Amino acid sequence: MVKKKVAKVLSFRYKILALIFIVLAGGLVLLPKHQKQEGIKAEQLLSNVISPERYVSTDQIAHKIINQDPSFILIDVRDSISYNNYSLPNAINIPLKKLLDKDFEAYLNQNQFDVIFYSNDNFYADQAWVLCNRLGYKNLRVLKGGMNRWFTTIINPVKPNDDVAAEEFELYSTRKAASMFFGVVYPDQVAEQSDMQIAAPKKVITVQKKKKRAAEGGC
Amino acid sequence: MGPLIPNGIISMEWDSIIAIFIGICFGFVLESSGFSSSRKLAGVFYGYDFAVLRVFFTAAAVSVIGIYYLDYLGYLDVSQLYVHPTYLWGAIIGGVIMGVGFVAGGFCPGTSLCAVAIGKLDAWVYVLGIMIGVFLFSELYTFFEPIYTGYFMGNITLMDSFGWNPYWIIFVFSIIAVVAFAVSDMVRKRVKKVFY
Repeated sequence: MVKKKVAKVLSFRYKILALIFIVLAGGLVLLPKHQKQEGIKAEQLLSNVISPERYVSTDQIAHKIINQDPSFILIDVRDSISYNNYSLPNAINIPLKKLLDKDFEAYLNQNQFDVIFYSNDNFYADQAWVLCNRLGYKNLRVLKGGMNRWFTTIINPVKPNDDVAAEEFELYSTRKAASMFFGVVYPDQVAEQSDMQIAAPKKVITVQKKKKRAAEGGC
Repeated sequence: MGPLIPNGIISMEWDSIIAIFIGICFGFVLESSGFSSSRKLAGVFYGYDFAVLRVFFTAAAVSVIGIYYLDYLGYLDVSQLYVHPTYLWGAIIGGVIMGVGFVAGGFCPGTSLCAVAIGKLDAWVYVLGIMIGVFLFSELYTFFEPIYTGYFMGNITLMDSFGWNPYWIIFVFSIIAVVAFAVSDMVRKRVKKVFY
């Protein structure tokens, strides 16, 4: 008796399958659409934000610039007036408001260089860092203390008191040498360094577009 | 999360191994569903066997519904999937040649290799023909090149060209599939049975 019933149901099996098929397809049409989250997960972003790994110090940057390290690009997130007024050598100006413009994506979303953000302090640079991090961009750094710290440490280093450790003096002399590299002229060398005010030529940074590997397919 | 390989969940080095594995499975399914017989394949054009239509239509519809559910649930990103680039006239002319070859020879390239594997003589001839065709095409490549690489339209889909909603397309496509199955079944019942 049961078998007969099963057989009766099974004789409609193609119709049942077709019905399931159409119901599933119709389900796709009827399901409420939702905005998909782009970029990394919130937990990941939070752990990235808490971590201080993103900061680089002004001394490290000065060292890299002086040694002509080709592995990084500097991104100035201040407005263009401040940028034209003074900025780090070879920096690219991407004001924070225009950060997500398509024109600048090639600079930020690539695996070729470390991207170092800076502003007057590190607050705006941090904001830029969070936005780009959220989108899953790689190798992002922030200059700790920004331009202000750059001035107080590299351009105009404070001479340490006589009673501090020897390392402080070494650091001071390194910074002083760095400041000379960036064009600061000290009174004791004016005589020999009169024609050193040649602006360094702007290096052109070419960024290769990140290639997405397209999977090949075919029958 | 997905697709698995472009997102690095499965590393690229596995490509060939996965390809061979899928190839073996594909060949096995083709052979075991009788697609290594040119009579069965040609049946769809003469109206006595619609297995080809059903199998490929079902495969396409089931996978598209599955993919879009996975996309909806966030396991797969449809926008990352590979879309074959469209070379308009190359595709049209190639499609006509392929269609004529399919009707005349009773195989498509994949199934012909399947039939070669089980030793069908007509498939040997067919594959030899493919080889000759490939040779001629390579030799005359400079002549064909404007069509082969021209009329390039990018990796477009119907959604891109017409701005259609993918969910509605899938729904309509599924209904067309079910109607096609029903009609093909009716045709099969009316046409004289062919034994092969």
